[in-house]
Formats: sequence, C-alpha cells, structure tokens
Amino acid sequence: MHDNVIDRSKDITILEVLDRVLNKGVILTGDIVISVADIDLVYLGVKLMLSSVETMEQIKSGKSVNV
Amino acid sequence: MDQMIYSIVSVKKKQRELNTLLVGMKGVSGADLYAVFFDDLTAVVSNIKKASLVANRSNAIEYARVIETLAQHFTLLPVRFGSVMESTDVIIKMLGRNYHEIQRNLTKVENKVEFGLKILCDSEKIKTELIAKAEADTNTEPAFAGQNSIYRKYLDKKLKEHRFEEMLISYADPIIKDITSHLAQLNPIHKFQKRPSKTNIIDDVFLLEKDKKEELIQAVEELQNQYAGLRLLLTGPWPPYNFVDITIK
Repeated sequence: MHDNVIDRSKDITILEVLDRVLNKGVILTGDIVISVADIDLVYLGVKLMLSSVETMEQIKSGKSVNV
Repeated sequence: MDQMIYSIVSVKKKQRELNTLLVGMKGVSGADLYAVFFDDLTAVVSNIKKASLVANRSNAIEYARVIETLAQHFTLLPVRFGSVMESTDVIIKMLGRNYHEIQRNLTKVENKVEFGLKILCDSEKIKTELIAKAEADTNTEPAFAGQNSIYRKYLDKKLKEHRFEEMLISYADPIIKDITSHLAQLNPIHKFQKRPSKTNIIDDVFLLEKDKKEELIQAVEELQNQYAGLRLLLTGPWPPYNFVDITIK
C-alpha cells in the first residue's frame, strides 16, 4: 500500500542523496576539497554553495562556476 | 594526514557504543572510521588524502551511508561532503569553539528525522488549463499592439511564459496551505520551496518526530487522493540535512 506513496525509485533516491550530501549539512569554514571524476583537483572556497550534480557537471566541462 | 568529517554526533555517555559501531563500519574508499571526542560531542572522521577525495556518485553514497547508519543510533548533525581538517587537534579545537552552537542544533533535531515531499505537476490536463488561462489573460492586454510583428510575437510569447510561471506559483499557494493544515497534527517543522524545477511545483522538507512515520504516510496518502492530478513523492526518513543551521569556524 505504501509503495504508492513512498517512491522507492533508485534514481530519485540517488538524486536526493546527492543533493543532501553535497548541498546541505554543517558548513565548515576553510576549504572544501573535492575533485570531480577524473579531472584535476578542484579547491572550492567554502562560500561556494555546490548545487549538486549541475555544478559538478559545470566543473567537469570546464565552465566557470559562480562563487 | 588530513581528516574528513562525516558528522558531529551527540554521544553523551555512549562513547563505547559509538566506538563499537565504528569498528564495523567503513568510510569513503573503504577508510577506517574513528571518533574525535570533545566533552559530549564527537566528530566522526576518516583519514583522507586531499588528492584522493573525489566527489563522485559512489563516494557520495558511501558518505551518506555512514551518516545514515550513525543517525539510526545517535542524534547527529550531518557535515557537508568534502569538509576536511588538518589534524585531530584542529578538530578538537573546532568542537570546543563551536560547542554551544553545535549543541543548539543538536537539541533542535533530537529524536527527529527529515522527510522530503515533492509535488510534481506532470498532469497534462492541469498544464493545459493553466496555459489556456495564461493565453486568455495575455490576449486581453494588447500590451505590444502596433509594434513590429516579430517583436510583438516574441514579447507575447515571453509574456505567456511569464504568466504561466506566475500561475503555477499561485497554484502552489493553496496546496502549501493544505499540506500545512493536513500535516499540522504531526507538528512538523516545514521548509517550503515553490517551483524549484520545471515539473516540480513544490518542494517541502520537514522535520518530524521519529515515531510519527506511519501517521505521516497515511496523511500523505490522503493528500494524494485529494490531488489526483498531481504526483506526490515522499522520501525519507533522512538524517536532518536540511535543518542544520550552522557555519563552523
């Protein structure tokens, strides 16, 4: 019965996970350090709010990211 | 070696329980997890080489899994992926400096879990009705009459799109009111966002007491029956990612 309401779709869950892990939670001042896939290491100042996959894709394709 | 922080946990007198739990867990890239204690607070960390910290899907999921497992046993604040400090000493000092602010946040989320509710408008009937209304409204205002037809067509098109967006946003208002009233008995703390994406008209996240999950599901089912033309997606329970209100120095 609950399956109608709680969507257990894997893709949606993964997107929700990524959104939370990359966008939410305690912010530590200092550097957030990430590298995305196989590109060079990217140092992001903590003021940058990652907007999850979209920002990751921008970084990956070499486009500038608003800080 | 640098240390990546997964979450800040309220351990109180359960330090041994936390240590036992961490022995059976692994962090990102299979790294061992350990606890950095300060008073009744603990940062759960793993050693990490900065150069190996990759924000890819599998690492993000491993990271989330650690937080989720810990959240099943302790009250905690999730820390954003990629937060790295130089040493244990630096982490202890950070916990000390921000002790009261961290405790304030932990108190807010104690015994609570987060749920997400997305309201998707993928009903063609509703869209068609709103588009027709937007067009009717636009046609009553000859805002660009007399101007060059190419520009006028362009501006009319933009105006219709703008009206459609406004209508969807207005369309969300009574639904938000309804959700708030329908879930009020569960006493949640809501955070609404209107029109966060093209198909999504409302994004609601809320904090709820852990034992109210079944009541919530029933309430959302009732809402879904009420809004047959919309699709409601409920996700959770999540650790309280959206209800952490702290920037740590």
